Amino acid sequence: MAAFGVLAEYATPADLFRACERVREAGYTRWDAHTPFPVHGLDRAMGMRRSRLPWIILVVGLGGAAGGFVLQWWVHNAAYPLTISGKPHFAWPAYVPITFELGVLGGALAAVLGMLGLNQLPRHHHPLFEVERFSRCSDDRFFISIEASDPRFDAVATRQLLERSGAAAVEMVEDPA
Amino acid sequence: MAATEERDLYDPISGRPALILGGHDFHSITEAVAGPVEAKTPPAWWLFFLPSLALLGLLGVAVSWLFWEGIGIWGLNVPVGWAWDITNFVFWVGIGHAGTLISAILFLFRQKWRTSINRAAEAMTIFAVMCALIFPGIHVGRVWVAYFMFPLPNQMGMWPNFRSPLLWDVFAVSIYGTVSVLFWYVGLIPDLATMRDRAPTALRKRLYGFFALGWRGSNRHWQHYEVAYLVLAGLATPLVLSVHSIVSMDFAVSQIPGWHTTIFPPYFVAGAIFSGFAMVITLMVICRSAFGLERIITLRHFDYMAKIILVTGTMVGYAYGMEFFIAWYSGNPYEMFTFQNRALGPYAWAYWTMITCNVLSPQVFWFKKARTSIPILFVMSIFVNIGMWFERFVIIVTSLHRDFLPSAWGYFRPTIWDVSCLLGSFGLFFTMFCLFVRFLPMVATAEVKTVLPGADPHAHHPGAHASAEQLAEEGAH
Amino acid sequence: MIARDQVTVPAGHWLTRLPWVAGGVGVLATALSLVLASGNPRQFAFSWLLAFLFFASLAIGGMYFVLVHYATQAGWGVVVRRLAENMMGTIPLLALLFLPIVWQMRELFPWVNALADGDDHLIAAKAPYLNTRFFLVRAAVYFTVWVAIALLFARRSRAQDRTGGTAISLALKRISAPALIALALTQTFAAFDWIMSLDPTWYSTIFGVYWFAGSFVSTFAFLVLAIVVLRSAGLMKDVITLEHFHDLGKLLFAFTVFWAYIGFSQFFLIWYGNIPEETIFFRERLEGSWRAMSFLLAAGHFAVPFFFFMPRSIKRKPGLLALGAGWMLLMHFVDMYWLVMPAMHPHGVHIGLSDLAAFAAVGGLFAAVFGRLCAGSALVPVRDPRLAESLSFENV
Repeated sequence: MAAFGVLAEYATPADLFRACERVREAGYTRWDAHTPFPVHGLDRAMGMRRSRLPWIILVVGLGGAAGGFVLQWWVHNAAYPLTISGKPHFAWPAYVPITFELGVLGGALAAVLGMLGLNQLPRHHHPLFEVERFSRCSDDRFFISIEASDPRFDAVATRQLLERSGAAAVEMVEDPA
Repeated sequence: MAATEERDLYDPISGRPALILGGHDFHSITEAVAGPVEAKTPPAWWLFFLPSLALLGLLGVAVSWLFWEGIGIWGLNVPVGWAWDITNFVFWVGIGHAGTLISAILFLFRQKWRTSINRAAEAMTIFAVMCALIFPGIHVGRVWVAYFMFPLPNQMGMWPNFRSPLLWDVFAVSIYGTVSVLFWYVGLIPDLATMRDRAPTALRKRLYGFFALGWRGSNRHWQHYEVAYLVLAGLATPLVLSVHSIVSMDFAVSQIPGWHTTIFPPYFVAGAIFSGFAMVITLMVICRSAFGLERIITLRHFDYMAKIILVTGTMVGYAYGMEFFIAWYSGNPYEMFTFQNRALGPYAWAYWTMITCNVLSPQVFWFKKARTSIPILFVMSIFVNIGMWFERFVIIVTSLHRDFLPSAWGYFRPTIWDVSCLLGSFGLFFTMFCLFVRFLPMVATAEVKTVLPGADPHAHHPGAHASAEQLAEEGAH
Repeated sequence: MIARDQVTVPAGHWLTRLPWVAGGVGVLATALSLVLASGNPRQFAFSWLLAFLFFASLAIGGMYFVLVHYATQAGWGVVVRRLAENMMGTIPLLALLFLPIVWQMRELFPWVNALADGDDHLIAAKAPYLNTRFFLVRAAVYFTVWVAIALLFARRSRAQDRTGGTAISLALKRISAPALIALALTQTFAAFDWIMSLDPTWYSTIFGVYWFAGSFVSTFAFLVLAIVVLRSAGLMKDVITLEHFHDLGKLLFAFTVFWAYIGFSQFFLIWYGNIPEETIFFRERLEGSWRAMSFLLAAGHFAVPFFFFMPRSIKRKPGLLALGAGWMLLMHFVDMYWLVMPAMHPHGVHIGLSDLAAFAAVGGLFAAVFGRLCAGSALVPVRDPRLAESLSFENV
């Protein structure tokens, strides 16, 4: 079996934070940290760029709102205009509630589906799930994984870097695929 | 892990007291919340579940009979065309709003204390919205053409009337339900991963694992996750305001005195939060002691919730005052009569119940002793919900039963089927909530962990190096 | 800890001369207004009322900020609170500046004369409330409550600069909630008395909330501008960080939306019900050039700022945030103008010298008092127990 990479375990968020800075400074790109909850400031420590998700949400949300408004306009002004309570056919204030709601729905769906898409989830199988100690990543332990496909990966040097970064344990991970 | 310091509950200003008591660390939080879900069903759970299931059965019977015989089995008449049906609808939608406020609005205000209760509150929202949606669904009369409400192309070339608040309700409440489920589910994903990773049976591992979507705590995933969460919170906030405003517009866009008044939207929203928080208190009082979570859902949490009840109750009182004053100021005899009739007419008993429960009883929460006394909190929370049910009843029925033309005046009396539908809806709500606490973690464990002092990577930990050595020793064995 | 010279205006600094200049402008503009009043007292009355309402909304908004800050035990806003206290510290001045409105009451409020004439049946029905004596008694009550709250909170906060400790914070926290209730009620009825009764046949239960919403937006806008001015003078550099600007930006965004929500609720329900005695309010504001101003309000007070204040990056650039804040203050003035002036000029917008003079008069004096208050004590509550938390807080 090929190697997936190396996994290091840490006891506290502070240890993890310092180790992430070291890994980033060493120039690795295909690596990740794993935590049971989001750790404040870790994005910067890992050198990550800001997420594109807000733009996706804005566009889809506005699209939803526009779609809702057009639907109502079309129904009441083109498809089957009716005079209701003596108001003009283009009673735009009355279109506002549904327009707003559909905009929110669009934004919410974009947020969730966009987030899952950008995270490439669902993904029920991953080499890290085969590692016994990794089950604590959803409980109270923090991990760094550096993939073998990273250009700077070296079985010995990478492992040493992690061992010296304050890790409580370091382990090589096989790729069962 | 460094122990969290317990601070005086009443510690005033010099520091931020600990939210989670009892020296919890990350693992003990996981244990405290996941443990009860994995253990055998406690007998007390059956005590709540079976009666709820029975009431749910009652709902099934009542609704079936309603579909078979028609709306006439209720007490509706002319002029009172809406009574318990729409009262119950607004009641349940209102309760749902507190869950979203706790999840979304308190998140935007950076109120960390929300993390102990937001999961249960969001679940409450979803179940409350389910109960709410039943009533507009069943009260239409010709349920078999309920699809008329949706913009589906048809052979008649006809479309729903988008300009009607009743249709805005259809969109608003169902979108609210959808977004609430999305928000709740997104929050659940990391906790489902926790349940998956410690599942005692293969079946549970597969089920939790399926819904956990393969979450592995990756920080690259957390980044997008946090954006999604923040945006959902940012969207859910105006959604809460808009949904109950739209519900209030069912009444306010009319011309009927007591209904047509500009303050309805924010007044209804305040009332919704008021009743919703009361329901959260009712549920949390029971759940925290049933599951031994008193150190995670602490008296401080109840203190804050009681304060919110006091604030929103005061807003509701303000709205009552405004309606009353402007009814007089308007010089409109119909307006003035409506408010006199509410206080002194045939439904005065309902009006004064409402005032006592909504305006007078929450005043007890000015006192910290009351805000942190479990018996008072429990009793008060039920009074508030009784009061808020009556508020919707008073608004709907008193304005309808005597409006412009005295020859059209009437009186509404509920029938056994009105009562069955209301009790049955409580059956649905509590059945769902019992199932929720039985199978899912009722506290947002990942979020609670973030408010522990140890979660901050820049905090000083004297024990840190020692524990790293300990782990290395363990690994060697 | 903070350097003292960062948070006190040094003697002889150009900022200490600003209040005197503003005061001078104020006095001169008052004189000009009074001169114009002799020719057209009705125009003077309306212009003065408008200017008064604009600056009163800033003072009252500042009061809300301070009270809510204490009631919620907020941490982030401690460094900003003293400025809000100084805003509410102008209330005694505003009580004085209310007098011209009393003087010209019969030019402003139709019900003053209608009672004397006795031929309007509807207004006569409102006489128990809308009569001169009760109006004056109520105004006295409002100002008494506001001056009491303003002086109490401002004085105790300044006292804490000397004593430190938590006792004062605790005491103010306890009174803040009842004070908020008193403020909400007095402000609501002030809105009814001073704005809504300009057309005594019209009414709206949400009107008090509407004035509150606009006031609160302009409070945050004013705070942003005040901070930017102070920082450009070299003060508060490390005290107020990008994090605080970000929070003020978020609040500007949120309350812009809140204002639109309240404003739209009012409009929408009246439009839908279509009852003539209510719709008259909006029909007047769609007449002639008022129509354009209504659209300006919808677009400029809501639609454009909604997208402007949304991005995180804008909220973290003080220059851009200040631009937006200035715009919101202008829009709040347009809102006040739109509320008040149709009673005077029903056929179209008619801005004149009187409006400008009154604005300069009230504004100059307001700025003078605000400036003196800023110069007279530390710019932040230097010994507030939550100051450290406020200085170090970080946004997500």
